[in-house]
Amino acid sequence: MPDTSHNGMQCHEFDLLLTDALDGVLSGAGLDRFQAHARSCTACGPLLAEAEAGRNWLKGLTEVEPPASLVANILASTTGVDSQRLETAARAQEPRISWLERMQAAIYGYLEPIWLTVRQPRFAMSFGMAFFALSVGLTVAGVKPADLRQISLRPSAIRHTYYSTQARVVRYIDNVRPVLQLQAAFHGIKRNAPAEPGPDKRKINKNDTTQQPEQKQERNYSETDNHLILAGAPLGPSVVNSLNQDLPVVSVTTYRRFV
Amino acid sequence: MEDIQVVAMLVRRCIAGDAAAWEEIVQMYNRRIYNICYRFAGSGDDAHDLTQEVFIKMYRTLSTYDHTKGAFVTWVTTITRNLLVDHFRKTKQDRITDSMDTVASDHEDAQPLSEQIQDQSAPPDAAVRRREVAEAVHAALAKISPELREAVILRDLQDMDYKEIASVLRVPEGTVKSRINRGRAELARLLQRTYRQVM
Repeated sequence: MPDTSHNGMQCHEFDLLLTDALDGVLSGAGLDRFQAHARSCTACGPLLAEAEAGRNWLKGLTEVEPPASLVANILASTTGVDSQRLETAARAQEPRISWLERMQAAIYGYLEPIWLTVRQPRFAMSFGMAFFALSVGLTVAGVKPADLRQISLRPSAIRHTYYSTQARVVRYIDNVRPVLQLQAAFHGIKRNAPAEPGPDKRKINKNDTTQQPEQKQERNYSETDNHLILAGAPLGPSVVNSLNQDLPVVSVTTYRRFV
Repeated sequence: MEDIQVVAMLVRRCIAGDAAAWEEIVQMYNRRIYNICYRFAGSGDDAHDLTQEVFIKMYRTLSTYDHTKGAFVTWVTTITRNLLVDHFRKTKQDRITDSMDTVASDHEDAQPLSEQIQDQSAPPDAAVRRREVAEAVHAALAKISPELREAVILRDLQDMDYKEIASVLRVPEGTVKSRINRGRAELARLLQRTYRQVM
């Protein structure tokens, strides 16, 4: 701002009085001099108009409302905890949940993953088969649901069942003991008896030639072949003698043809 | 705004660890501090964060407040102003300067300042027009230099007297008045480029 003098007032002085003039606190001779300077000074005149306009623009601005969460955030970030009033308000907004509902929710949360797994087709088929096998097994064992219903779960009844079962087991062992003793004695007698010559376990397999030398094997092969060949050969005297006793003598000559 | 004795008592209770007294202080000053931050930073989100920072700093330095040296509101405003200056320096490189097409308002339906000012067609009603003008002024306020802006905000939006403003800004009262005049004039020049008449 140029520091020039108009109507006995410097521009610097005008600048200082400008706010007072706009606030309405300037009056009397001071106000007259101020207005005269504004009219004559080319720099201060527009400044007065612009400052007044700017002030009027700013009057149009109203206070903005802070976010609702601001106070809670400030308290949480300073004291670290919400105030009692905020806690009460928060509690009032929370729905009341009974212990039963909480327990159901906890159980459901625990079982839900298992149930989701079981619901898969491959596992469902497996569980179905397992259930079927169990039911068949129980049916075969003679267990009926009606029997289960008659089971008493009172402590005295459970104790009674335990003792009666124990007595049955003891009786069974006592009864079976003479039988076991007799069985043991029989086995002892049998063990002390003289041993009979057992059958020769070395069975001679006539066809087994694995232990014979190769020449022998070849001979055997030729013997086998000779039977066939000999069938056509002239019969020897021992054979003829035996044949002469029972059968009529038939002379057959065959010639084997080797290809 | 404040009774010095009442505030001094609240401060003493806060220092002694009374959470209720601290909550009372927060309730008393959060609106004022949020508005200063909002007008200075130009964004609601920044204002929210800055307001929280101001109260955190207040909470930590509450024991340093001396009621004989000045009003509590002046002390609070000084803390706010210092944090705003720090924030301004930190974000200086991120800011877009002097672009009239920058959307300065965080309202969903906010338009760039140039469009707001050029749109002279008759608005549907007076409330809409007032809101548009307010957004335009808010956007223009963000364009003026921070020294002038803080002086204008404290004077015209927070109704602080010149002495208190001088105390907060740590400048002479004459400098405060000069900054206020220049800030108002600059704002008017920005808005009057297209608005030819004041509301």
